[in-house]
Amino acid sequence: MITLLKNAKVIDPAHGKDGVREDIYIRDGRIIAKPSDTEKIQQTIDLNGKIVMAGAIDMHSHIGGGKVNIARMMLPEYQETKRYTEPEAHICTPSCTHHATPSTTDTGMHYIEMGYTAAFEPAILAVNARQAHLEMGDTPMIDKGGYAMLGNDDYFLRLLAGKADQKAINDYVAWTLHATQTIGIKVVNPGGISAFKFNQRRLNLDENNVHYQVTPRQILQSLSRAVHELGIAKPLHVHCNNLGAAGNFQTTLDTMGASDGIPMHLTHIQFHSYGTEGDKKFSSAAAQIAQALNANKHISADVGQILFGQTVTASGDNMMQHLNAKIANPKKSVIMDIECDAGCGVVPFKYRDQNYVNALQWAIGLEIFLSVEDPWRVFLTTDHPNGAPFTSYPHLIRLLMDKSFRNDAFAKLNLDAQAMSNLTSLNREYSLYEIATMTRAAAAKLIGLHDRGHLGVGAAADITVYTDQADKEAMFSKPDYVFKDGELVVRDGKVVKVVWGKTHTTKPAFDVGVEKGLKDYFDKYHTMQLDNFKISNDEIAQDGRNQVINHMPT
Amino acid sequence: MQTSTTKTVNATCPACGLLCDDVTVSWQGPDAKLDVTVKSGKPCGKTVAFFSRPLNAATPMIAGKPVSLVEAIAHAGKLVQQAQMPLVAGLSTDLAGFRAAYQFAHPAQSNRPQANMMHMNVHSSLRNTKVLQSTGWQTTTLTEVKNRADMIVCIGTDVVHHNPRFFERAVWTDEAMFTDASARKVVYLGGDDLNTAPGVSPKGELPTVLPCATIDLPEVTAALRALLQGKVLKVDAIAGVKVSALTQLVEQLKQAKYAVLIWVAKDLDFPHAELTIQNITESVVILNQQSRAMGLGLGGSDGDTTVNYAHTWLDGLTLGEQDVDAHDLIVWINSFSPDKPMPNVSQPVIAFGHPDTQFTTPPEVFIPVATPGLDAAGTLFRVDSSVVLPLKKVRESTLPTLAEVLLKLEAQLA
Repeated sequence: MITLLKNAKVIDPAHGKDGVREDIYIRDGRIIAKPSDTEKIQQTIDLNGKIVMAGAIDMHSHIGGGKVNIARMMLPEYQETKRYTEPEAHICTPSCTHHATPSTTDTGMHYIEMGYTAAFEPAILAVNARQAHLEMGDTPMIDKGGYAMLGNDDYFLRLLAGKADQKAINDYVAWTLHATQTIGIKVVNPGGISAFKFNQRRLNLDENNVHYQVTPRQILQSLSRAVHELGIAKPLHVHCNNLGAAGNFQTTLDTMGASDGIPMHLTHIQFHSYGTEGDKKFSSAAAQIAQALNANKHISADVGQILFGQTVTASGDNMMQHLNAKIANPKKSVIMDIECDAGCGVVPFKYRDQNYVNALQWAIGLEIFLSVEDPWRVFLTTDHPNGAPFTSYPHLIRLLMDKSFRNDAFAKLNLDAQAMSNLTSLNREYSLYEIATMTRAAAAKLIGLHDRGHLGVGAAADITVYTDQADKEAMFSKPDYVFKDGELVVRDGKVVKVVWGKTHTTKPAFDVGVEKGLKDYFDKYHTMQLDNFKISNDEIAQDGRNQVINHMPT
Repeated sequence: MQTSTTKTVNATCPACGLLCDDVTVSWQGPDAKLDVTVKSGKPCGKTVAFFSRPLNAATPMIAGKPVSLVEAIAHAGKLVQQAQMPLVAGLSTDLAGFRAAYQFAHPAQSNRPQANMMHMNVHSSLRNTKVLQSTGWQTTTLTEVKNRADMIVCIGTDVVHHNPRFFERAVWTDEAMFTDASARKVVYLGGDDLNTAPGVSPKGELPTVLPCATIDLPEVTAALRALLQGKVLKVDAIAGVKVSALTQLVEQLKQAKYAVLIWVAKDLDFPHAELTIQNITESVVILNQQSRAMGLGLGGSDGDTTVNYAHTWLDGLTLGEQDVDAHDLIVWINSFSPDKPMPNVSQPVIAFGHPDTQFTTPPEVFIPVATPGLDAAGTLFRVDSSVVLPLKKVRESTLPTLAEVLLKLEAQLA
């Protein structure tokens, strides 16, 4: 069957198309070239010049695995609000609390209804990967994938402290990608989660983990090189040391130099762009961070924008979340040490526009967005749910595209925070082309999804159709149509057909001899068998759902 | 003449929350004698009993009379169609079984009502859930205990009644990365009828036992928490426990490199036991201001952790308590534990369960189903939450899985 989308106004940065009038043909879930006149077109939709982009890809969103489920369990009040019948009791906005911890079904539905066709869980604890895949497996509509966390696991730290050669590290990293069915590697507070278990409370880039006598810099060097040498598309995903701490921008700048020019991605960089100026010893270092991002072409970043309202922060960084637990709102939190593998910290937060720090955090995120020149190296995220629920993306897009809307919002902030931000002097307004770059083309390129994020012949037919409107929040909230693998699944912002996406992985080759050391380690120190650590394709892809795609490394 | 092993299967044991996955089940010799072994030490009684249970012939029944599966499903379908407010209870099953049960309870079509759900361990699980939802907690997992813990405090429990191999697998281990395993300090604080023998170290070091009745633990744990906060208690003893002994415990906890405070919700069976669990978890929070300590809730059975977790991600909310009397049909699921009786109810019952399930009154419909980890493959969460393990199909069985039966029932209702 061939579907024709007639009179599309195509915005496809991967092919340099910015509003080109075109027809798009779809067959068997793929975009095809114009078929010959003899071939029958079964379905034609005349788009009359509506905007057409590839389906959006969220490259960093906590949609699966232990942390978010702990948040759901701990915060029943978030979902409870959904049931309130009095209209004033539950005024649902995109950043409403009940979107902070959505069920897996709601997650898939809300994403597709905004025109997103894929989301990547960025912090899969290797030992918890099976849970992450179970949850993602119950998330309908969208493609999924994840990054496995390394760098605080005792197996890796023993290798590094024992001066194992790079090949041994590479084999272990490749083995982990296979075992956990992931597509990238993340490091969270390099060495710090482990250090917290030895009662260290902070860890700087060149400070030793007391037990292993290795530094975060060494961990970053080793892992970024492994990822690079294995040919994995996705650069090492780095959650820097000193998350959320005033003055942490220096750590972030230094981290950019830690990989000796090997690509790295610094995640939720807003939370790592804080100075210590002013009376309150908390200031924006967005200018320094943006300048460094502009200069260091091997570094990319996503922002982790905060938006005001009630949410919950869920992080692998138990060291820093243990400190943040003091300002939890509501006052409860979960901190865990996990399996000599990692940890987690789940802390509810309420970001308030009249709070100096929160208001400045909001401004810092936007300052970074507007000051980083290359939309191929900066990504639109709220670090869902940490900065805000992903459902607030349309609002964030409007903040980026609409200067007067942004400045009006700024004028309502805490006055001291306003005085500490140069946001109103930044005149930039993102174009649709730039939004399409950061949410589609660049995200697919970063992760290595060659047939997603663009509308070229051969691409998967993940397609979103919008009506261009002055109010970009309205425009991006409610696409006219969304196609997932060629099927029409959303019409007028509502799901009309339930489908199940795919699971994206990468599986670089490795020396199977790596399992000898691992087997010995598991038998001595773990509490599960090595074979049970590994997740098979069949566990993920069941009943025709969640087919595992392996993206070959280059 | 001795013949060689006829068949060997590496298995994961779902009989308690520890999910020991070092189990080997083999059938040896001419009469295929079943043998259950584990990698180190001895398999526990629960494991042996689980894997040794014979596969007795079983057939679906209507009101105690054998019928075909088709007839049983047809009758079950009628009961479901008549129900206004069904309750899916028991829920002793694995992940696949629960996913199917959840789908059954939340039909996409509106031709029948949604069902409520409740697990057979709801009362003990809720004690933990209430703490999680009130203050949260700071907890650890088995591999951290094995490699780090230099002090283990069991509060109101001996653990081994629920998790027989806990000390063997996580405390008195041959190896530990960061501590001398055989030198760990073990303390029992309170509890009834404890078996403290497993707390004796391999070197013969006896555990410290600070006895008090379970029912006195609210007071004793409150005292412990107060002392950790630096409060001064102007009494000599709390419920028979000397304050000097508690003070010594507090000092040892502060000195420990990694103290682990353990409770089992099922053993804290008294009104408002959640407040006692909270005393334990808040004691951990106080300790973590200066030194390192973590809590660990053990126990777990009948897939309770799995069912709570999966319900939470599928629904957005944890699984709670239901008033059985408010429902007009009970769908009872018990795949793992035929010895655990179904509560007496007056409503019609559709039961899916282990073929050996005993009933005082025969249910309206009974359909025997496969036991995950024995008759079918499956998936379960370990009690410490982060580890999810595959269960193996250990023996040949023609029993359908719960998911298969529920799919047939849904087809009947469509």
